[in-house]
Amino acid sequence: MTIATAIVRGTPVFGRMFSVDKSTGLEEINAWPALMIMASFIWLAVAGLLGLVMPATQMFDLDSGHFYTTLTLHGAALAFPFSFQLMVGVGLHRSGGCVGKPITGWLPAMCFITMNLGAALLTVAVLMGFKVSLVVMFPLPLVGAQMGIWSMNTVILGFTGIYLVLACMILFYPLLGLSMLFFGKKRQDLVLSERSLNDPGMLGMTLSALTLLIAGLPLVVVGTTLLLALYGVIPMSLAAWAADPVVFQYCFYIFAHNLMEAMALMVSSAMYATLPLYLADGTRKLFSDKLANTALWILLLTSVTSFLHHFITFYPNQPASLSYWGNIMSWGTGIGAAISIFTVLATIWQHGLRAEPGIIAVLLGWALYILDGASAIVTSNVAWAYVLHGTMWQSGHTMTVILAMSLMWMGVLYHHYPVITGRKLDPVLGTWFVRLFTVGGFGAAIAMLAGGAAGMPRRFADWNQEGWMFYGNMIMIFGLILGASFVVYAYNLLQSRELGDALGQRVGAT
Amino acid sequence: MLDFLFSGWGAFWVTMGMLLPFAGMFWYVIHRKSVVDSGPGTTPPATLSRLEGYWLTAVFVIFVTINLASLKFMPIIATARAATGGLPVQEVQLTATSWSYEMSTREVEAGKPVRFAGRAKDTQHGFAVYHPDGRMLFTMLMMPGVAKPTSVVHTFTDPGTYKVRCLEYCGIAHHGMKDELTVVKSKSAT
Repeated sequence: MTIATAIVRGTPVFGRMFSVDKSTGLEEINAWPALMIMASFIWLAVAGLLGLVMPATQMFDLDSGHFYTTLTLHGAALAFPFSFQLMVGVGLHRSGGCVGKPITGWLPAMCFITMNLGAALLTVAVLMGFKVSLVVMFPLPLVGAQMGIWSMNTVILGFTGIYLVLACMILFYPLLGLSMLFFGKKRQDLVLSERSLNDPGMLGMTLSALTLLIAGLPLVVVGTTLLLALYGVIPMSLAAWAADPVVFQYCFYIFAHNLMEAMALMVSSAMYATLPLYLADGTRKLFSDKLANTALWILLLTSVTSFLHHFITFYPNQPASLSYWGNIMSWGTGIGAAISIFTVLATIWQHGLRAEPGIIAVLLGWALYILDGASAIVTSNVAWAYVLHGTMWQSGHTMTVILAMSLMWMGVLYHHYPVITGRKLDPVLGTWFVRLFTVGGFGAAIAMLAGGAAGMPRRFADWNQEGWMFYGNMIMIFGLILGASFVVYAYNLLQSRELGDALGQRVGAT
Repeated sequence: MLDFLFSGWGAFWVTMGMLLPFAGMFWYVIHRKSVVDSGPGTTPPATLSRLEGYWLTAVFVIFVTINLASLKFMPIIATARAATGGLPVQEVQLTATSWSYEMSTREVEAGKPVRFAGRAKDTQHGFAVYHPDGRMLFTMLMMPGVAKPTSVVHTFTDPGTYKVRCLEYCGIAHHGMKDELTVVKSKSAT
């Protein structure tokens, strides 16, 4: 039994959801993904509760400090140890089964340790007062310490946590993914569904790993420099260049924007791989692999430099030419999405669909992602950036992209779950999860976009100004529905049935 | 021609305009091919290819039209228009510090362009101006340590009291960082 399997088995409640099936001889590709997926759901529970606390602090007029604490924790927990780690877990399981290589050794261990230890350290720092929001807002961490709002120790702790999380996302995970794709010996006993790089289901995973590694390296250099200075290894004067807000923010957004695009590439790829498995006529083919791959390449090429739209309102410090370039590249991603829309719908139209909860979750997550894409290209337009930047519109965009990808990965997990655990999920509960998530996800997204359209500021502890509380109430209501969908999903995992057993016979009852 | 679109609510309805046709088509295809008739489609490949061409052309035309129509809102164009418009440009120099603004003046005239030039002293700050009816007119992102101030040229049309808010999260009193601008009728017009 590997250490990952042992940790899963020893974890109360959540461990029962993901206990690894050792009878199939697939423990080497099941164990680490199971542990990462389990950990991601623990963080989801934390993030979900914190998400509901945010509107609650506003409704009950609690201290604004609570709002900013939960804002920072909720955003960080949802984006990194939940959403990203879920993607890593399910994505690695896909890779292992596609290329027939074990997920063992120090790289998956480092992925798990850096992500979860980093997120835990950041959580402790935030609870100690380090309220910097999900995107750090540099140089706010240092200014806050200078002003005595939080201590320098919390800055060091928080930065250490962030650095470990980044190490997982930028170094260990991409290196693990690429090493599995290009190195090592294939073992036929581990091959579940062999795929090559010509397959859209694999191409996106490769592009995604490369994007994270390349787009993240500048931030690793900046982060390493700052951390060394904070720990006193190098003098602060040597880190002055890295502490320049413009340097930090540009490196941050080159990475952060491309992180979202990399996750989109990865999840699009997973959808291209999963959809054919549920076609009614059993053809297992997309409408056109070439078209699907073209969409992935367009998404990659246009998204790399579209991060420049984050700084449109920084004119003239960011030249107008770069702003417009970011604008056009963002809309270019829309062309990739349009191709993707045609490919998916034409595939279903040609071959029919077995509408099981897993694939419906993937498709509805993808539909949510299309809504998010529309909101993203709108806010990246030069004219709209000036009336939307800094509003709830952008929080809605960030939250929606994370929710969309989470729904898609949770749908893909329906497909992988029996292989990992030897158990299958109840389709009735699965359908309820999809319904609730769809209503909650679309509702919360539209409420947040509407709030942004009305000028409601993001990361703002006073929604009562200008009647914005209406949007806050809507966000709360749809957030509760989302919370209910997660409860249904977790209940389904807890009560999953043994493979081969008659439906209705629960594990707990046997 | 499409100026009415380039507001907050214009953005919302354009986004819904993209979402709703997609959602309708998405629901129709999935319902039709999973519930009504999940058998293989009989649409000839040539028809699907033609549809693909129409779809991508329509998307491309819509995207290009919207982005061409938005060109005039680029700040560099607003600055050039103000410079060549024959009206004197009113200057407002501002400095943002946690959690307040220093402004060279808080009163400007309607009908004449105003250049807002802002700097952040300590951390990142925003400078968003809201119309008295609650609409956000524009926002600026300011970072400390940059050589040039962030700048926007805007011409107010309605006299009144305009609220100013910081939209870049700047710490525990961020929501309290606000100010006001008074827009008066043009003195040369009275």
